[in-house]
Amino acid sequence: MKTHKQSISKYIFALAILICVLVLLMSFKSTTNTGYSNDEPVTHTVTIFKMKFSPANLTVKKGDKVVWINKDFFPHDVTEESAEKWTSKPFNQGEKWSKVINEDIKYFCKLHKVMKGTITIGK
Amino acid sequence: MKLKRNIKLLFLCLLLLSVSGITIAQNGPKLIDTEVASVAVVANQIDIDYAKIAIKRSKNKDITEFATRMIEDHNAVISQAVALVEKLGVNPKDNAVSQSLLDQAETKLKILRTVKKKDFDKTYIDNEVEYHRAVIDAVKGLLIPETENEELKALLEAVLPALEAHLNHAKMVQSKI
Repeated sequence: MKTHKQSISKYIFALAILICVLVLLMSFKSTTNTGYSNDEPVTHTVTIFKMKFSPANLTVKKGDKVVWINKDFFPHDVTEESAEKWTSKPFNQGEKWSKVINEDIKYFCKLHKVMKGTITIGK
Repeated sequence: MKLKRNIKLLFLCLLLLSVSGITIAQNGPKLIDTEVASVAVVANQIDIDYAKIAIKRSKNKDITEFATRMIEDHNAVISQAVALVEKLGVNPKDNAVSQSLLDQAETKLKILRTVKKKDFDKTYIDNEVEYHRAVIDAVKGLLIPETENEELKALLEAVLPALEAHLNHAKMVQSKI
């Protein structure tokens, strides 16, 4: 009787181990499917050239960094559009400015108000 | 019979002459690169002169911000043009197109200096929309096609998006006045 109980216990233990291994494997597979092997922040680049932000619309992961590089011979800035909550202040040709992105953003160049861009946190 | 044939020939020649005359008239002024450089510098300087009057006469923030932008951006273009002609070892050459631009600007400058204060903002921004449209047409239709030097052509092509941004910015301000 004792031996039978021990056998059942062993089976249950083995089954539990198997379930744990399967869960681990599935979670690993799920992570690799998103394209991110870990939660390390990524740096994205937006080029400012010929009076345009390129790409004008960018999707990032929360916590990623975006670097704007000015390749025009005119100064430009990167300013939050709705209430000008933050701004890079003007930067010249060859200069860069960066920001860590934690929310969706609509921005524009305050110097050239027709230049606009967006950054969206990907789901 | 011979007379009829000759009349037909004469008619054909006159037709060819008239067609060739139209083509010449449509070609417009011919410019060499140093003249193109002169037109580019003059066109930018004219808009700076308009903007300087706007900063003196307007109290509207949209107008003064726009005028400040015109001074800085057009000065940046002039600096690029001057650096290029110095590098190429040539001087901008005065020409009929530059002179025509200056003559037209003189009239506009007089209007901007003398228009009643209450009408200034509208007069200035309407002129900016009109002027940028005309300059964009001239850069696309005359200056770029006439330019042979690749670096000068590249500079003009780089300036075009800025002029278009200025035009759209001017229209934005115009809609608020």
